[in-house]
Amino acid sequence: MIKFTLNGRLVETDAPPTARLLDLIRDEFTLIGTKEGCGEGECGACSVFVNNHLQNSCLIPIGSIDGTDVITIEGIMESEQFKILDESYSSAGGVQCGYCIPGMVMASAALLSKNPHPSEAEIREGISGNLCRCTGYNMIVDAINLAAKKGDGLWQKK
Amino acid sequence: MNLKDISTSVPKKDHSGKVSGQLAYISDVKVENMVYGVLVRSPIAYGKIKSIQLPNFPEGYEAVGAEQIPGPNVVKIIQEDQPIFANEWVNYIGEPILMLVGKELDILYRLLNEVKIEFDELQAIYTLDDAIQQKSAPGVTMASYEFGENLDVISTIEQGAHKIIEEEYSTGYQEHVYLEPQGMLGIYKDDEIVVQGSMQCLYYIKNALISALACGDDEVRVVQSPTGGGFGGKEEFPSMMACHVAVAANAVKKSVMLVFDRSEDMVVTTKRHPAKIKYRTAIDEEGNILSMCVDVFLDGGANAGLSSVVLQRALLNSAGVYKIPHFHAKGYVLKTNTVPNGAFRGFGAPQSFAGIESHIGHISKLSKLDPLDYKRKYLVKQGDPTITKGQFRDPILMEDMIEDLLNASDFKSKKGEFQRFNQQNLRYKKGIGTSLFLHGCGFTGSGERDHIKATVKLVKSRDDKVLLKISNSDMGQGIYTTLSKIVAQALDLPFDRVLYPDPDTKEVPDSGPTVASRTTMIVGKLLERAAKKLKAQWQPGVEQEVVENYVHREMIPWDEKTFTGDAYPAYSWGVNIVEVEVDTLTGNVKLEKVYANYEVGKVIDDRIMKGQIDGGLAQGLAYGYLEKMTSKEGRIQQKSISDYGPPTSMDVVSIESKVFDNPYADGPYGAKGAGELTLIGGAPAVQAAIEDALQTSFQQIPITPEVIIESL
Amino acid sequence: MAEKITAYRFDRLDQTLSQLNKENCSIIAGGTDVMVLHKSRRGVPPKIPNPVIFIDHLSELKRVYQNQKDLHIGACCTYSELLEDPLIPLPLKNAIKTIAAPAIRNRGTLGGNICNASPAGDTLPLLYVYNAKLLLRSVNGDRVVAISDFIQGVRRVGRQHNEILVEIILPSVLEEGSHVVFEKVGNRNADAIAKVGFAGLIRVNDSRVEDVRFAFGAVGPTMVRSVDIEKKLLGKPIPLADSDVAEVVAAFDKIIRPIDDQRSTAIYRKKVALNLLRYFLSSKQYQPN
Ligand SMILES: Cc1cc2nc3c(=O)[nH]c(=O)nc-3n(C[C@H](O)[C@H](O)[C@H](O)COP(=O)(O)OP(=O)(O)OC[C@H]3O[C@@H](n4cnc5c(N)ncnc54)[C@H](O)[C@@H]3O)c2cc1C
Ligand code: FES
Ligand code: FES
Repeated sequence: MIKFTLNGRLVETDAPPTARLLDLIRDEFTLIGTKEGCGEGECGACSVFVNNHLQNSCLIPIGSIDGTDVITIEGIMESEQFKILDESYSSAGGVQCGYCIPGMVMASAALLSKNPHPSEAEIREGISGNLCRCTGYNMIVDAINLAAKKGDGLWQKK
Repeated sequence: MNLKDISTSVPKKDHSGKVSGQLAYISDVKVENMVYGVLVRSPIAYGKIKSIQLPNFPEGYEAVGAEQIPGPNVVKIIQEDQPIFANEWVNYIGEPILMLVGKELDILYRLLNEVKIEFDELQAIYTLDDAIQQKSAPGVTMASYEFGENLDVISTIEQGAHKIIEEEYSTGYQEHVYLEPQGMLGIYKDDEIVVQGSMQCLYYIKNALISALACGDDEVRVVQSPTGGGFGGKEEFPSMMACHVAVAANAVKKSVMLVFDRSEDMVVTTKRHPAKIKYRTAIDEEGNILSMCVDVFLDGGANAGLSSVVLQRALLNSAGVYKIPHFHAKGYVLKTNTVPNGAFRGFGAPQSFAGIESHIGHISKLSKLDPLDYKRKYLVKQGDPTITKGQFRDPILMEDMIEDLLNASDFKSKKGEFQRFNQQNLRYKKGIGTSLFLHGCGFTGSGERDHIKATVKLVKSRDDKVLLKISNSDMGQGIYTTLSKIVAQALDLPFDRVLYPDPDTKEVPDSGPTVASRTTMIVGKLLERAAKKLKAQWQPGVEQEVVENYVHREMIPWDEKTFTGDAYPAYSWGVNIVEVEVDTLTGNVKLEKVYANYEVGKVIDDRIMKGQIDGGLAQGLAYGYLEKMTSKEGRIQQKSISDYGPPTSMDVVSIESKVFDNPYADGPYGAKGAGELTLIGGAPAVQAAIEDALQTSFQQIPITPEVIIESL
Repeated sequence: MAEKITAYRFDRLDQTLSQLNKENCSIIAGGTDVMVLHKSRRGVPPKIPNPVIFIDHLSELKRVYQNQKDLHIGACCTYSELLEDPLIPLPLKNAIKTIAAPAIRNRGTLGGNICNASPAGDTLPLLYVYNAKLLLRSVNGDRVVAISDFIQGVRRVGRQHNEILVEIILPSVLEEGSHVVFEKVGNRNADAIAKVGFAGLIRVNDSRVEDVRFAFGAVGPTMVRSVDIEKKLLGKPIPLADSDVAEVVAAFDKIIRPIDDQRSTAIYRKKVALNLLRYFLSSKQYQPN
């Protein structure tokens, strides 16, 4: 039996320890915000936080996260930080087909909580594992920039 | 809604569900009594199936194949050459033969390995070059067209010419890499089969299903799920998947879900056609063009699909934005035993523009003339004939757009600056390049009038909300927002009172497929007209409905046989300037700056337009130097995203762009098409910039580091 | 249904080692290689042979410390942790920054990069050039091997079933005075697997070469390094004569034998590897002005 917290709630599962966290989140806990774009760590659509670190849930065998704290996009949806990102992505026009977006938002939040005032190069690096085929990234970079400004002081709050 | 300027951006209709991830794409859907499907695919490129041996299936698992298809075994598109399930011949590696269905993927994957198929393998054609050699063998040429100046006339001109310049240009595959892999669900109900999934063209699918299931119009229904990117990749391909899940659902009387793995998606779905383009141009002593012959060869892959139409667009753009005297073109789609190629944003035009921009650039350099000056000399003007004896009717702003972009990019002083930099720096070389291009909006020729015959419907509810009833898909390009905006503006109704539900063929008429940069211009115009009609008869608190049908503006009628007439009702235009830095030790190319001017009639939403510019240009630039896909003995070599290499956020730079107003009478609020245009100029500009940096010429894209290093 | 899968996740290293001694297990550190290598298709767990044993949480494997002039790096330090550690030499940090993207760097470990023994492992050229030594531990005790002896081929390492890589030791790396470069050539600027990797180290004393080392990645089954060729340059005056540079380049031309694959061509790999070598040898940065 593997136990961990998922979006602040203690959960347990008897899925096999090599099962991918991605499948567990989507199938057993029916959280659909974490998407699968490649299944091999190359697109970032499946990004989640494990102990506050951005990770690709398609590469995580659940046996390795026993006792950790896992947060998906659903777990940050109600936060102040998410509201800022939501507004910024909207006004910068960062969303097209949307498939990369939850992962992008997770990467944005991870970046800003580590580095609340990132340069353009740092933003590009922060989302470099998140493939977006629609936007050409620039409007996403703008969105993160905007979120850094709008949410000044918010990012390092817990 | 009463915007002073329709271009003023509004929030996107589907924003919230997308940012929070709570919008359900097809792979997020689960329905009752659902099983999965996986496809048994051909491991060989060409041969005859001798026997199929199935393993013992556990309870609840079965195979579905050609025998279970109620109608003809063909995916209905244009030509009937793609079976739903190959049961006799296989023509490419990955061609579907059977579908295995059952509850657990784990078990399905195991069963997949246990299916044994014996083939009589035959000699396949693997490359476009081989196909060109065997072009007259039966079945190899799948489509061909020829038009333009009489060849005897050209031969006389060539005899008197100062020089004949011949070039052979080739372009590679491009893979869509929409971030959401293809997925389709066939829902079994007693009285109908509902097919739901990621798609661009609901009625293509519906028509394919009616044929495959040999059923009535009301027995199938197609519903679009939120679609995670398309770029043409979800134009014709989903019809095949829809047939698979529908036939299977019908056979096993359960709902069947088929979702591709990324590597499966990369290997078996359609791609941009690799092309070979031959140019033969006669010039006089001053370097003036006397005549030009262009031969276009497209690698169609194993079936015809939409390739003939792609070839048409490739040919129609074979002279670029230039008025070339004595122009002649012919083109072929050739069959190879490789994965079928199909629609991809630009639809044949990116190949042609890469080729012609490169060729004209090379001619100018041979004559020691500045490429841009040279190109401007041949630029078409309003009133000029097209290469098919049609006409450029509307004002053309290209000169202004070029001038403006030269200033914005500080082009002249950059040239000098880069020359000095290149003299001093032994390792890195900088270069700057331009591209000029257009895109014909809407279907080629009489497609809208004869084949599509679009109908749109607006329904007003009792609470005075207006619903768009059309069959067009929002796949990220933003038509939920732009088309709603057109209607809201025409009705002077608040934006949030206009609704655009996910299209469902039970609810919406056929307003045509979501392709060919036609949606805003054609469907948008119909909606604008419908909205105006509704406004005129508006009765508060009453349910009302209006329908509008496509009306063709007669121009010079298009004749596909002679390839003459107006191929398009209108054109959108563009200019790109790109700066690169090339590492001469590794051949790596770094984008430094990108500038872009466009003219699309009238922008319906500034922010959405910028999204199309940035996204399209990123794809177009990458097509020129970054993305590389190859096939070896019929097998796609790059099976993962990183091996293929679409740009990451660290490969793209910010793009300085501007869009010029030039309202078009037959577009809604003056709008023309914009979605494909933005991709087209990327590759030729990047090529020109790399050539400028290295002071050399290339005859191919992508210009990968391997190509660069070989050239040094 | 799926067969039962055994997995271990002990609190301490000694428990882990004693389990490994009893049973042949698949070790998973960050899992970024293992999960891809044994990947199933969509929706199904990877098929990993043997019971699995997770080690990336073991604090014994996550320390970075200095021992005189040597640097000791715990095998399970993630790339992100190393990027934040002041003891890690800058060239190694630069190499790490070229690896994948942040989310992978939050999981992938240095020990994993070594034990995975991919020809394209991005830390390997530098580790060869640093003469890295590996501390392996089992219930029977410790042993130390040179990285070039440990890595034996593509995904082949000289590890006993009961051993774990505990530390990577970079001897004398904290000594000043060497000029070290790393260059990675990939198809794009992030999330790229190397087509060519190059690491070079040179120490100049009194305008003569006192020490020089090179290693090439992704141009053969393992890193290409040749102490014999390096020796040819010892004692040579700086700037190096063109003939000295040419001799070394020619010597590597003979021993670098890359392959064609889906990422690049043999011709390209070789030419670029030699270009980077030649550039390094003629570089101005370490030369007296
Ligand atoms: C999308 C993506 C991009 C990548 N990009 C790069 C890149 O740019 N450059 C690069 O070099 N690599 C790259 N990799 C590969 C991978 O991330 C690295 O090799 C990483 O260092 C592996 O570490 P890990 O802890 O995840 O290894 P794991 O997958 O956990 O293990 C790898 C191998 O080492 C063994 N092992 C691990 N630790 C130990 C130990 N302490 N003792 C004994 N055996 C051990 C395991 O049994 C296994 O055989 C990429 C991977 C992915 C998925
Ligand atoms: S699905 Fe995990 S990175 Fe693509
Ligand atoms: S918005 Fe479509 S992939 Fe990013």
